Amino acid sequence: MNIINNSNIKSTVALAVLQNVVDPEIGLNVVDLGLIYQIDFDEIGKKIFCMMTLTTQFCPMGESVTDAAKATLKSAFPGYDPTIELTFNPSWNHEMISKEGREFLNER
Amino acid sequence: MFTVTGNTETSTTTSYRVVLPFYLYAAVAFFVATILLLLSATSITEHYFHPHALAITHIMALGWGTMIILGAGHQLVPVLIEGKLYSNKLAYTSFVLAAIGIPLLVYGFYLFNMGWPAKWGGRLIFLAIIAYLINLAVSITKSRHRNVHAIFVLTATIWLLATATVGLMLVYNFNYHFMPASSVEFLPLHAHVGIIGWFLLLIIGVGSRLIPMFLISKYNNPRRLWSIYALINGGLLAFVFIFLYTSSRSLLLFPLSFVAIAIVLFGNYCYKSYQQRIRKKVDEQMKVSLLSVLMMLLPVIFVIVIVALLIMSSAENIQLVIAYGFIIFFGWVTAIILGMTFKTLPFIVWNKVYHQLAGRGGSPNPKDLFNNRIFQCMAISYILGFILFTAGIFLGYEYVRQVAAALLVCTSLLYNVNVIKLLMHKPVFV
Repeated sequence: MNIINNSNIKSTVALAVLQNVVDPEIGLNVVDLGLIYQIDFDEIGKKIFCMMTLTTQFCPMGESVTDAAKATLKSAFPGYDPTIELTFNPSWNHEMISKEGREFLNER
Repeated sequence: MFTVTGNTETSTTTSYRVVLPFYLYAAVAFFVATILLLLSATSITEHYFHPHALAITHIMALGWGTMIILGAGHQLVPVLIEGKLYSNKLAYTSFVLAAIGIPLLVYGFYLFNMGWPAKWGGRLIFLAIIAYLINLAVSITKSRHRNVHAIFVLTATIWLLATATVGLMLVYNFNYHFMPASSVEFLPLHAHVGIIGWFLLLIIGVGSRLIPMFLISKYNNPRRLWSIYALINGGLLAFVFIFLYTSSRSLLLFPLSFVAIAIVLFGNYCYKSYQQRIRKKVDEQMKVSLLSVLMMLLPVIFVIVIVALLIMSSAENIQLVIAYGFIIFFGWVTAIILGMTFKTLPFIVWNKVYHQLAGRGGSPNPKDLFNNRIFQCMAISYILGFILFTAGIFLGYEYVRQVAAALLVCTSLLYNVNVIKLLMHKPVFV
C-alpha cells in the first residue's frame, strides 16, 4: 500500500480506525481494499484530510462508504474536522488490494 | 508512489423511491404469472397462440422481466455510464404507464378480446418505453463516460421500442387487417425482436458488468463485448430482413449462427470472469445467475431443431415451439432475475435504511437483509418446477405440468416472501 501521509503516528491510528469501515458487498475494509490514497493532519487548523476512491465511480454504496469513513474519523479524533475527498485518478483496480485483503478474500 | 488528483464529483445514486416500485410490481407479476400457469396447465400446450399462452407470455415478458429490468436499469445506469440518471419524473412516468398498461394488455389476451383493453394496454406500454428511452438517452448523452455496457442497454431499449411497435401493430391488425399477413404469421418477428434485441442484448450488456463485479474478477475484455454486440445486432437485422423479404427458411441459419456464436462468446466471457475472480467463495445468488448463463444455450439448441424441422418438413412442431418459449421466459430470463434480485435489491434497501446511520458500526451486511434459507428453497423448487414443466410439455402428461406449475407457484411465493422481507426491513444493529 502506498498511502501518503504527513503525520506518522496519527495517520497510523487513522488507518487503524478506518479498518472498521467495511465495503458492504465485498466485506473487506476500505484500507485493505486499497480505497484510501492519502491521509493528512493539519494540527494548526485541527483538520483531517482524507483522499479516497471507490471501486467504481457512482457506486451505489459510495456515499454510505464515504460517510462512514468521515463519521469514523470524527469519532476517533474528537476536536478534528475530517474532510473526505473522492478521486478517480488513478481509478481503483484489483492490484490495490493489500496482501491481507487478498488472503481474506481467498478465505471467503 | 502514484500521484493522486482530487476532484469534487460526488457519487449520487438514483433514489430508492424510483426503483423499489418496479421490483415490487415485478414480484407480484411473477406470482400472478405462475398462478395463471397453474390454471392453464392443460390449455397452454394446445398452441402458442392460445389466449392463455399469450397472456402468460406477456405477463412474464413485460410484468416480470421488463419491469424488473427497468427498475434495476434506473439504479444501474449511473454505474454503467458513470453519471447521473437524467430524470426521476420520467422514471415515475415510465412506471405508472407500464403498471397500468400491462394488466390491460394481459387481460385482453387472456379473454382474446383485442378491443380497448388490449389497445390501451399496448399504447400505454409503448409510451412507458418512450419515457424510459428518453431518460436513458439523455443520461448517456450528458455523461462524459460512454462504454460498451451503456451502448448495449441503449440499443436494447431501441429494440424494445421496435418490439412494442410491432406488437401494437399486431393488435390493430386483428381489427383492421392492414398488414400483408395475419398477426399469427408475424408473431415470430415480434417475439424474436423482443427476445434477442431486448432481453439477450440487455442481459449480456448488464451481466458483463455485474457478473465480474460481484465475483470481484480481474477479467475485462471490451473487445470481446463489441464482437458480441456486432454479432447479435447483425444477426437480428439479418433475421428481420430474411423474415420480411424472403420466404427461404434455410437462410434463417445465418442469423441463428451469429446469435449462437455471440451466446457462446458470452458464456466464455463469464467463465473467464469466474476463473479470474479474487473472491473464491461464490454465493448462491451468483450460482443461480451463472446457471442462467448456461441456460442461454437451451433456447439455442431448441431453435436449431425447430428451424431444422422447418427446412426438412415445412411443418412446425407445436410442442417444441411452446417448450422454446417456456425455457426462455421461465428458464433463462427467470433464473437471472431470481439470482440478481438478491444481489441488487439488498443494496438498494441497505442504502435506504442504513445510509443515514453510516459510521455507527454494527449494521448488518446487505446479504443479511433477506433469508438465505428461503432463497435456497426457492432455488430448489424453481429448478424442479422448470425441469418438470419442460418434461411435461414433451411427455404430454397434464398432471406433471400441474405439479410443476405448483412448484413454480411455490417459487414465486418464496421469492415474494424474501422481497417483502427486504422491503419491510427496519434498522437493526448487532
